[in-house]
Amino acid sequence: MAIVFACAGSHAPGIRAWTERAPQQQIDNLFGGYAAVRQGLEGARPDLVLLLTSEHWANFFEHVGAFCVGRGASFEGPIEPWLRVENATVKGNPGFATRLLDHCYGNGFELSFSHEMKFDHGSMVPLSFLTPQMNVSVVPIMFNALSTPRPTSARCLALGRALRPLLDQAPERIAVIATGGLSHDPGERNHGIIDTDFDARFIADMTSADPERLARYSDADLLKAGAGTLELLAWICLAGIMGRQKARLVAYEAVVPWATGMGIVSYDRAA
Amino acid sequence: MSAYALNKLLREVNRDPGTRERFFKDAAAVAAGYELSDEERRAVLARDVTALYRLGVHGLILRPFTILHQMPEPDYLEAIRR
Repeated sequence: MAIVFACAGSHAPGIRAWTERAPQQQIDNLFGGYAAVRQGLEGARPDLVLLLTSEHWANFFEHVGAFCVGRGASFEGPIEPWLRVENATVKGNPGFATRLLDHCYGNGFELSFSHEMKFDHGSMVPLSFLTPQMNVSVVPIMFNALSTPRPTSARCLALGRALRPLLDQAPERIAVIATGGLSHDPGERNHGIIDTDFDARFIADMTSADPERLARYSDADLLKAGAGTLELLAWICLAGIMGRQKARLVAYEAVVPWATGMGIVSYDRAA
Repeated sequence: MSAYALNKLLREVNRDPGTRERFFKDAAAVAAGYELSDEERRAVLARDVTALYRLGVHGLILRPFTILHQMPEPDYLEAIRR
């Protein structure tokens, strides 16, 4: 069993770039949540992080794939000079990335891959909370949660299920981190409007130990809660990896100044 | 995506430090390298956020672009909702 740790958390840039605009109680709950999860991650002593994260035009543009594996030796980030996360070069793991690709191609998922992926807030924000020394190597799978057509929830769940045997058999100790969501509409007309009913429903499904429930979210269901809500496809993939294991809600806050329903869930028993 | 070249220009300003520096020195010179309509070119050079949004710049490109210009969030939202 090589999955030693698993969690999911939101990455809205405001949590770093304009932290202090949020009410102190919300900041404390979320920073405390990430600190607790970080302790779990450190205790699990992972050799690498499999990061399920989402694109915001840092990498996809001329070419867009549904899922893209970062195969480079390292990743630089953040691309945003205003994020208030220090620039870093995060080590990759091309060997693991290649094994992951081979495994997926043999199991019905022809993922794209990139040798020059850059990290934006979608990767740097969770890493800044969970591996702040940037000393654990990362293999990212970038999800297209942006451009239509997008992968379906069912497909993301199936990708997670397909990944599980690879992770179980890997010699490395692996931390799986999914990031994105929850309800938000970044830069669009409903920026700042948070669908807390949607978020409560999604978190209930995510923590139900019944991943099939997550396969039922249509693109339109997610989009209705804001364009950024599609990033939850990465959480759904994590649920596919973790199967019947139960996730626990660590923290949730609808943070208006960060324009995002911010949630953190973790799996107490990783494997 | 719609307004492909326009989005491409703004995206490069957002993500590439060299392009960003050149753009802030001489936006017209950088914009000249992109096949923009007259309306798109005018909107970029005037930093007309309402027009850029209506022309089809994606929110996740336009908001970071306006953050680089120190545009406060309420002003941004007012401009795109106009």
